[in-house]
Amino acid sequence: MTAYLLRRLAISLGVLAVMSVLVFLGVEALPGDACTALLGRSATATKLAQCRAANGLNASVSHRLIDWASGLLRGDLGFSIKRDKSVVDIVMPRLRNSLALATVSSLMAFPLAIVVGVWSARRKRTRVARVVDTVSLVLMTLPEFVTASVLWLLFSVWLPLLPGVTMVSSNASLLDILPNIWLPAITLALVVFAHVMRSMRASFLVTEERPFVEAARARGIAERIVVRRHILPAALPSPINVIAVTAAWLLTGTFVVEVVFNFPGLGRIAVDAISDRDTALILALTLFGLVVFIASSFVSDAVTRALDPRVRAQVAS
Amino acid sequence: MFNKTVLRMTAHEAGRLRRRNLGIAVVALTVFGFASCGGSASTSTSAGVLRVANDAGFGGSETMDPYDGNRFWPAINMVFDRLIGVDKDFSPIPELADSWASNDAMTEWTLKLHAGVKFHDGSDFDSADVVYSIDRMIDPTFDSPVRAVLGIIDHVDAVDASTVKIVLSTAEADLPVLLADYRALMTPVDSLDTIGKTPVGTGPFSMQTFDPEGTTVLAANPNYFLGKPKLARIEIPAIADAQAATQALLGGQVDMLLTVGAKNESLFSDTSKFTTQHIVSGDWNGIDFRVDHKPFDDVRVRKALRIAVDRQKLADVVLGKDGGVVACDTPVWSGDPYRWDGDCAQDIEGAKKLLAEAGFPDGIDIEIFTSDVEDNFVDLVQAYQEQVKAAGIRVKITMADASGYWDNVWMKEPSFVTSWGQRPAPQVLNEVFRSTAAWNETGLIDTELDGLLDSARSTLDKGERAKQYQAIQQHLFDNSATFIPYHKTLVRAMSAKVKGVAPIVIDAVRWEQIQVD
Repeated sequence: MTAYLLRRLAISLGVLAVMSVLVFLGVEALPGDACTALLGRSATATKLAQCRAANGLNASVSHRLIDWASGLLRGDLGFSIKRDKSVVDIVMPRLRNSLALATVSSLMAFPLAIVVGVWSARRKRTRVARVVDTVSLVLMTLPEFVTASVLWLLFSVWLPLLPGVTMVSSNASLLDILPNIWLPAITLALVVFAHVMRSMRASFLVTEERPFVEAARARGIAERIVVRRHILPAALPSPINVIAVTAAWLLTGTFVVEVVFNFPGLGRIAVDAISDRDTALILALTLFGLVVFIASSFVSDAVTRALDPRVRAQVAS
Repeated sequence: MFNKTVLRMTAHEAGRLRRRNLGIAVVALTVFGFASCGGSASTSTSAGVLRVANDAGFGGSETMDPYDGNRFWPAINMVFDRLIGVDKDFSPIPELADSWASNDAMTEWTLKLHAGVKFHDGSDFDSADVVYSIDRMIDPTFDSPVRAVLGIIDHVDAVDASTVKIVLSTAEADLPVLLADYRALMTPVDSLDTIGKTPVGTGPFSMQTFDPEGTTVLAANPNYFLGKPKLARIEIPAIADAQAATQALLGGQVDMLLTVGAKNESLFSDTSKFTTQHIVSGDWNGIDFRVDHKPFDDVRVRKALRIAVDRQKLADVVLGKDGGVVACDTPVWSGDPYRWDGDCAQDIEGAKKLLAEAGFPDGIDIEIFTSDVEDNFVDLVQAYQEQVKAAGIRVKITMADASGYWDNVWMKEPSFVTSWGQRPAPQVLNEVFRSTAAWNETGLIDTELDGLLDSARSTLDKGERAKQYQAIQQHLFDNSATFIPYHKTLVRAMSAKVKGVAPIVIDAVRWEQIQVD
């Protein structure tokens, strides 16, 4: 088991190192650099030279890459030329906001999705289950900005209950951020709810047909116990994998929702960083994204192993 | 068996308890969030408070230093004043300077300052502050963008506490117009280290909270020398996305959008809730043809490329109906007293004839670089391509990457799209069209034009000067290598409760006269 974990950790670190180099080279390959992006059309030769000299852009690519990597080992993520701030100062408040948004969305979506998924599977042939199924299909296929706009119209214009646009800065206190979190959180919750609910439902229906469930029922065990003790443990690994992937997405892929509601999270800054050729910021965000995906995959595996003895057996062997 | 059952029961109970706790947490979080909505995120208009959305164009690195490239606009114009302002017809009017006069050669200007003006911290505004401010504007090391306008100032002397003498390196009859630039603001002596985040000005509003990524708050200056502001406060929330800003106005979170896209204007058609204003501006797009590349070195080809276009139709296609005012290749906008309105109707036959004379009887093939780096850049070239076909001008459009457009394409490729913001005639003609200008985009060396510019800026009589500037624009229409089809009309949208905003460009708006009912 320890060997397995160590092997996965080593692979993850290797992936992080290779991806960092690839992203660094990718940003280098783009036309222009941080100084041309910063100065725009006022980029005279003198100003460009001053900017590049001041920010160490005249050094070779390999030199700058080594510089960045050694800084990373010291816990220094670098400096954003465009924003005139250390990358840590830019990322940390937004990371906190993204975590808050992901947490609220997850609390809204995941427990409900599991419950509704099971409920819908157990009433698979009823009209209400078909309605739930159709609504979840619509929620899955609608682009996020449509869901976001409809929610904004409902709760910000027609029933002016919730602020439609965040107007506090990224480093405002969580108490000031919280009132602005509801509309983006509900939008994200609706999207991920549909995915997890459908996965739970499908997995439940497949598991229900398995011989061990039939055997349990044949033994006369109460249906409530069959569902809780026999079907659910076997059916849960699949939606848990979906939850792991969507949880990672909630932290790293929410650009559209952040733009629509002006929410100061990580998604928007990631896109801005690319257009600004802000290498240090891009690398920091890439590393964060990779760590989130690797961690979510770890957690998903661990939970699956805990629930499913077959996986434990495979890992042990 | 018994023990096992008890254990199972305990685990079951514990599970229920955990689920109940989680449920309580979710409900508490939700109720708290909803309850706290009324606090910091008010969605209703408050009397006396104006909320103006800001596009956060510098990503949080905005500064209140008005001479810095990352100046926080329009907040700088609420906190600071200029020496000379502009009236609704854009003629110079007194602001911090009560009067001004030049010597006969128009190389020295003496300004008398308004008495009794104080900065927000209670200190007096006097000639030392003017000397300090202008020295910073023209400092070659700092290289402020304002230097492009006022770089002709050689030095400034404080004659006495309320008088300054500005000495120019060349004659300029329109120095008062140039001093009315929205960035030529007066800052206190030795404020370099503090002005960025804790600015002290003489303006109608003083800085309370500087938060360019969140909401910046300005409070009324009750002692403002041009009259007490009608508002108690101005709040400037950062909303980077134009669509989100539109939502904020529709949802009542802000009271004013400085510009909205023409396509969004219909969203604000409910006049009981919103007011929209059409602002004729001096912002323009153009297509430049570099004269150091053939065939653009031939004046006949250049003119053919410009007269083959129906400018009104082109403006309608690119900007929408009533989205712009036609220009005959002049950078001088329709509200400028020196504007020349020539006849530049589409002339297909004339263009063909000029091309034939230049040795292209079968038409001509050209390539124009564009990019989506700014709105209208791609639409402009596509509309141009369609219109000039009839004259035998075959345009190949090349899309360039938006990042690096200003570095790799602009002023480098033989032909490319450009844009400029509103500038008074003396400024834009010298800054962009003079042979020696740093931003002479087409590389055209035109000594005749330079002579005309020198003559105009040193002519004392305003009527005569206007004639000369108009002749310069006519000269551009005949010779220039820059196609300028229109100046844009901007749309401003506000809550109907906002009053007192003159329908003019925002740099000329008097913030102290605005009120919110």
